[in-house]
Amino acid sequence: MFEIEDELLKWRFKRGSREALARIYEKYVHLLLSVAMGLLNDPHEAEDVVQDVFVSFAKGATGFALRGSLKAYLATCVVNRVRDRARSERARRHHTNGCTAMPLEAEGPDRSLVYGERCERLSRALAELPYEQREVVVLKVKDGMKLKDIAKLQGVSVSTVHGRYRYGMEKLRALLNGEI
Amino acid sequence: MRDNDRLEDIVRKDLNVRASDRTYDRMRDIVLNAHGPSRETESATAMSIARRKIMRNPIVKFAVAAAVVAAALVGATLFRNSGSGVVWAEVAQKVQASRGVIFRTIRHDTPEPYDSGCDFRMDHYTSTQSRLDKYKGGEIIGTIYSDCNTKTVILVDHGHKSYVKMTPEKMVPDSFRMDPNSMVQRFLSCKHKELGQKTIDGVLCEGIETADPAFYGGDKLPQSLMARVWVSVETGYPVQIEGEYVNDNGQRRFTFVQDQFRWDAELDGTLFEPNIPAGYIDISP
Repeated sequence: MFEIEDELLKWRFKRGSREALARIYEKYVHLLLSVAMGLLNDPHEAEDVVQDVFVSFAKGATGFALRGSLKAYLATCVVNRVRDRARSERARRHHTNGCTAMPLEAEGPDRSLVYGERCERLSRALAELPYEQREVVVLKVKDGMKLKDIAKLQGVSVSTVHGRYRYGMEKLRALLNGEI
Repeated sequence: MRDNDRLEDIVRKDLNVRASDRTYDRMRDIVLNAHGPSRETESATAMSIARRKIMRNPIVKFAVAAAVVAAALVGATLFRNSGSGVVWAEVAQKVQASRGVIFRTIRHDTPEPYDSGCDFRMDHYTSTQSRLDKYKGGEIIGTIYSDCNTKTVILVDHGHKSYVKMTPEKMVPDSFRMDPNSMVQRFLSCKHKELGQKTIDGVLCEGIETADPAFYGGDKLPQSLMARVWVSVETGYPVQIEGEYVNDNGQRRFTFVQDQFRWDAELDGTLFEPNIPAGYIDISP
């Protein structure tokens, strides 16, 4: 759906409006944190990724030119940042160790991200999916991105993305069966 | 498929992460510091293009949400009752919801007169069609029909018994600029100030004024502009819209006043069907 507010935010942001940036942050920070969490299953990483995305976005106001959806653009930035991180030493170590982050509830009252037990379970289940499937499921369901746009992002055909979505959902259902 | 829908609902609802207040504020500060202070210094041309792109989109064109949001962004007192009863967000909504509107336009161009010296125009607008009748000495001397659906604009010149059919690329933005519905949205989406109250033709009104060039809504922004809208405290509909655009260091000046509004008018479709009398010559390019 065409977002009227976003068109105006894009316009004002390009003109250098700090208020527009503040509104974009306010509007999308939690969605992007959720997307990042769904992809990474790590709250610290999710927070870092989203902060990096917004900082880069803020610095690039002058050359900013976007015709499409702001929401999809930001989600794509998150995906790209997650992929970059996955290539880093830290992400590889995290992956090969096969451990997941400690839930934030264990960190005491001063936790930086807030989410419930069901989110934690879901995030853990998503982490069991092959990354490409996880990306499709999270982007389609949580961000509302179209399959053809995800296909473009992943550099594959729409039917491949559709397959990834189907297999991803099947596996997720099996993983969550009886849990949620 | 139903299972998928259910699972999608679960993912949508449960994958819900929020930053704590402290984290939210800390990240926000970092992001805003990375951006620096507002630098709304983009060239007038670029502003114009951006505004034009927004306004050209048929979904945005008459969308009250645009004005509501943008006004919120510029810090307008949109949702505040300013003491008299006018809540500007409601004005935008009422105008947006109006089925059709009829009003009079008196305009003057300096140095050359506009509209072949017509006394005034009676304008009829719906969200997709408009009809502008030019009056001189109590008679219609010309009519302009615009139809966004068919993307046609037809000018009928009764004086010369001729007509011209044109593309909307040239004509629609102009008629769109003068559409009071669009203007109200632009007032609210541009920086503006409150004018307080004034009585116009016995109607207590409250006004706002803008000098934001973006209000013009066209390709070539004027050097300076001033525009005001006065809204009835009682009905919440605009009673008068007036403006002045100045170019060439004051040597060219365009002023207009729109009044005699009839809001939420049910306009017969036949009103917008071009009436070209037999024998009129087609002088379309």
